[in-house]
Amino acid sequence: MISDPFVKTENLTRIYSSGTIKVTAIKDVTLSLNQGQFFGITGASGSGKSTLMNLLAGLDRPTSGSIKVEGKLISELDKDELALYRRHQVGMIFQSFNLVSSYTALENVAFPLLFAGVAKKERIKQAELMLEKVGLYSRKDHRPAELSGGEQQRTAIARALINHPKILLADEPTGNLDSKTSRQIVQTLSDLNKKQDLTVIMISHEESLLDEFANDIIHLQDGEVIQEERVR
Amino acid sequence: MRISDFIEQSFSNLWKKKLRTVLTIFGVMIGIGALVSMFSFGQGIQDNITNTFNELQLFNYVSVYPRSENNQKIPHSEDPNVPEQSGPYSQILDDDFIRYVTEIEGVESAFPEVRFPAMIRFNEEERFSLVQVLPADICQSGLMKLRAGRAYKPADSNALIISDMLLRRMKIKEPQTAIGQQIEISTLTVDLSLSNIPNIVTFLRGKGLPFSRESYQFTIVGVTEKMGFAGPMPVRSDVFIMPAESENMKKLSLTSIWDLFQSSQQQAKGYSMVNIKLSSTKYVEPIKEKMEDRGFRTFALVDHLEEIKTGFILMNMFLFAIGMIAITVAALGIINTMVMSILERYKEIGIMKAVGASDGDVKKIFLFESGAIGFLGGVLGLILGWLVSMLINQIVNYFMSRQGVPYIDYFSFRWWLVIGAIIFSILISLAAGIYPTMRAARVDPVVALRHD
Repeated sequence: MISDPFVKTENLTRIYSSGTIKVTAIKDVTLSLNQGQFFGITGASGSGKSTLMNLLAGLDRPTSGSIKVEGKLISELDKDELALYRRHQVGMIFQSFNLVSSYTALENVAFPLLFAGVAKKERIKQAELMLEKVGLYSRKDHRPAELSGGEQQRTAIARALINHPKILLADEPTGNLDSKTSRQIVQTLSDLNKKQDLTVIMISHEESLLDEFANDIIHLQDGEVIQEERVR
Repeated sequence: MRISDFIEQSFSNLWKKKLRTVLTIFGVMIGIGALVSMFSFGQGIQDNITNTFNELQLFNYVSVYPRSENNQKIPHSEDPNVPEQSGPYSQILDDDFIRYVTEIEGVESAFPEVRFPAMIRFNEEERFSLVQVLPADICQSGLMKLRAGRAYKPADSNALIISDMLLRRMKIKEPQTAIGQQIEISTLTVDLSLSNIPNIVTFLRGKGLPFSRESYQFTIVGVTEKMGFAGPMPVRSDVFIMPAESENMKKLSLTSIWDLFQSSQQQAKGYSMVNIKLSSTKYVEPIKEKMEDRGFRTFALVDHLEEIKTGFILMNMFLFAIGMIAITVAALGIINTMVMSILERYKEIGIMKAVGASDGDVKKIFLFESGAIGFLGGVLGLILGWLVSMLINQIVNYFMSRQGVPYIDYFSFRWWLVIGAIIFSILISLAAGIYPTMRAARVDPVVALRHD
């Protein structure tokens, strides 16, 4: 018996409307991902990579088509259910890190636990543990502006993992980093993927990084999947 | 999210923008301070008036005065509508009437309302005042509370009681020192009788009214507390003398200017008003009925209680309206601060949503911030209002004490005002926060996360 894929999209389409102008960001994207996969998405700017990522993260809704995660129809959830989905099942990291500038590294990592209703002491304890895992415990009281790009992204990874999600969505996580740091960050994601059976979906321009770490890669062009390749 | 986290987050977020937060809170503080001062002033005035009314038992009085000539109802003994009369029938408010009224059940005492203006000279000071003519038995009945000396007796000659307030205005701080001292009352008189034709002619030629001043010497036997007994009329009297002394004085009556043109014979028809003091307000209606059946007109302050209360409500509403102007300005300040905060934290809202915050969480975070501004503004406003009220009270009392007026609390802070002000401040702030909060909840996380 073949089990259902962990993440499955069917004919996923997102059209943005602005007055009479309609822009199709992605069109009829059908994907299947298994748990524990490192999935790469690449394509030129404006090809719909980030739109696909936002739909998978539950930050946006498709115009048509469906998204299923662990058999649950994400595209049909209401706003509050989507918030719960983002809180417990998805972790996200971004090209621009998206840390709260007025918070310390520790506060940023503990931030998602606030909405999960975890007590303050417990939040601090868990956030310290997570910062220790990404090697930033000594920098816990520093604000993002006092951290390097790599440190900021590691803080963002710690924040993404604090709620123990099943999927980690990485939107160009190396876009603002030098090549050495980029490799370190992707290596961290790969380690998490392998050691914790974490499903990683990563967008990147750098095909060499995806070739090195991803299991499957899709190429997007004008919102459509033009190529699917199984690397390993 | 936990309530404790919402509270902590709101204060911590506000603290990050100290200057803006302090300025916004300052606006709320001034608004609440103004409102609290206005309300406590309204309450203070209400308390002072109500306490004075209660202290002087003004609600236990019925005043009786004759009907005007043309609508005077003269009841006949055969008239079935008139209840059986036990006392001597009289259409004139004279001493017989007073004796008759005093015997009615529930009546503690009755006395004529006679007052006249005069200049009082004492301790090298001269002050204008109203002199009230009060029989000795009324004076001794305990209605008048004395601070020093005693009530006058019928046997006393030229005895006078003065209020502590007037004494203070005349630079006497120890009432005891005034007892036994001589005091001069100067009355103003005008004679328009036919015997005074030459003076009337002078008046008609535009040379002024034919006024003359008469002076009389009295001995102070007692000093009343504060403003002293004033009877049911809300007019203060500071000097009291006996009817026997009053009859010998030439004076203008305050109760009717027509006295000027009446002959002494006409004046002898009776008093223009008699005050009846009752042992309880429950006797007010029966006494009024009795007096009206006898053809008199009556006035009881207790009948006007609702009007007085309405007056207080109107005064409070007026003061509230003034305070609300300041509150409205403060509320606009809160809206401005919150909108600014949301614009500045646009990306942060996107991050909140990305890490699992619901629209409700976002709303609550900003509503708690508005509420925190309201709470802090309310508490500080209350303190400001209290301090300002204290200051004004002290300044006003300082100047009033120089006029001989005893210390009065012009402001009254009740527990409901304290709690109500803080709750009101929070509610206004929450209301002001509704629009910015809705705006924050509507932020599209996809757009916000791309925002720089």
